[in-house]
Amino acid sequence: MPSRLITRRIVDGLAFLFASAATLFGLFWLFWILWTTLAHGFAALNGKLFTEMTPPPGSEGGLLNAFYGSVMMILLALLIGTPLGIAAGTYLAEHGRYSRLAKVVSFLNDVLLSAPSIVIGLFVYELLVLPAGHFSGYAGALALALILLPIVVRTSDEALRLVPDQMREAAFALGIPRWRVTSRILYKAAATAISTGVLLGIARIAGETAPLLFTALGNQFWSAQLSQPLASVPVVIFQYAMSPYDEWHTLAWAGAFILTVFVLGLNLAVRLVARRGK
Amino acid sequence: MMDETAMYQQPTEAAPLRIIPNQDNTPDGVTQVAIRQLNFFYGKSRALKDVTVDVPANAVTAIIGPSGCGKSTLLRAINRIYELYPDQRAEGEIEIDGRNVLDRKYPLSDLRRKVGMVFQKPTPFASSIRNNVGFALSYYERLSKSEINDRIEDALKQSALWDEVKDKLNQSALGLSGGQQQRLCIARTIAVKPEILLLDEATSALDPISTAKIEELIHELREKFTILIVTHNMQQAARVSQRTAFFHLGELVEFGRTRDIFTNPVQQRTQDYITGRFG
Repeated sequence: MPSRLITRRIVDGLAFLFASAATLFGLFWLFWILWTTLAHGFAALNGKLFTEMTPPPGSEGGLLNAFYGSVMMILLALLIGTPLGIAAGTYLAEHGRYSRLAKVVSFLNDVLLSAPSIVIGLFVYELLVLPAGHFSGYAGALALALILLPIVVRTSDEALRLVPDQMREAAFALGIPRWRVTSRILYKAAATAISTGVLLGIARIAGETAPLLFTALGNQFWSAQLSQPLASVPVVIFQYAMSPYDEWHTLAWAGAFILTVFVLGLNLAVRLVARRGK
Repeated sequence: MMDETAMYQQPTEAAPLRIIPNQDNTPDGVTQVAIRQLNFFYGKSRALKDVTVDVPANAVTAIIGPSGCGKSTLLRAINRIYELYPDQRAEGEIEIDGRNVLDRKYPLSDLRRKVGMVFQKPTPFASSIRNNVGFALSYYERLSKSEINDRIEDALKQSALWDEVKDKLNQSALGLSGGQQQRLCIARTIAVKPEILLLDEATSALDPISTAKIEELIHELREKFTILIVTHNMQQAARVSQRTAFFHLGELVEFGRTRDIFTNPVQQRTQDYITGRFG
């Protein structure tokens, strides 16, 4: 065998080894996290977790109010962030593609994308909580929406840019006005990539704790009102894990396990959506 | 294993191409597209230089020339598709039915309804076959459901696709073969009943059988439409067109009957190009 081929084989083998090792390294931590949360939270992983409220110290209970709060705030954040984000992404990719304003907006969006989430929490605290005089689910949802927004803007911008120009030209050549080309053809062509972005955005905000600390605060009791302080899974985990009570620790672990599995599931769903889109 | 060098062997000095054009001798029709002193710019670079040409109605006019000579640019000027890109502009006049369509006051949707375009790569929309053809239709005309279905059927028949798709109109257009997709794009374009069809290398991404089908189609469509076809394939130009325009470096070198251009060109550059000496 010529020596060049041997070198290639060696380099190939090394690259393969490195790539596999890196993958295993990543998977190792993921499974360790899953295992730890499962082992510690196992005692609380039962029907009560989803049917009972967070308990006072020393007694058993569940996380129903936290799940409810998280779900409501995520849904509301989606309701605010998704249409706004897609609209802004559409502006960046379609209408303003060659304009200076779009470049500025795109840059500012990148800044927002990398803004520390606690800063966003403080901002919403100033904006909503202080004037209202109390914490609320609405404030929490707004903080989450502000984190979701730049993610959706960026992914829908990129998704639309991935639609080849030929597709645009073909549609415009039929004489169809821009809004119709965008809504009927480009969104359809970019649907998979945009929904992938939204799903990843959900995964991101589902685990956010910092922006909720100053906004939704948390609530020990059942409350369905978004205008009142609202419990959420990440905040409950944070509070319970810091507490001195064993029952609370177990609940925190169980919550962490559910959260991790949820985010993992979302990521798998993203894969599935992306594959189906092909 | 095969000797690798054999695959990349340089061709020996090619014998001059002999292209036998069709002997079509239809008399001059009325002018459908009158192009006057057209200049086209990509930023600062000028891609078309003072092009003046009368494109006859109900005939196929082929535009030939080496890469970068401005063939496609000419088509893209006629339906003003270049306006999607802010650094491109056209100067001069393109008159269709007595009106200068380059005039910014000329409504784009009118122009593009009158002038359909099919591109090099098939571009079916991610939707059903029916929706692809009916898409623009419902925008231009108020039609009942059955009228729309009739028009879709008509367009698919005219583009010789009907028999292949009539049982799967609701299936995704993305499942069609490349040749079928391109005929679908033609169907989509003629569904709105344009007067002029621009085909920008519409067969260059297709296999020979699909190409033959589309050439046959062009032959039939000529009865109803004024067709401009840009092609790299000189044999194709010679087969399907009645008029040929030869472009070189942004200039219109020669324009005339296809028969004359291919057998008896006036300009030396045309002679050189059609005999394969450059391009």
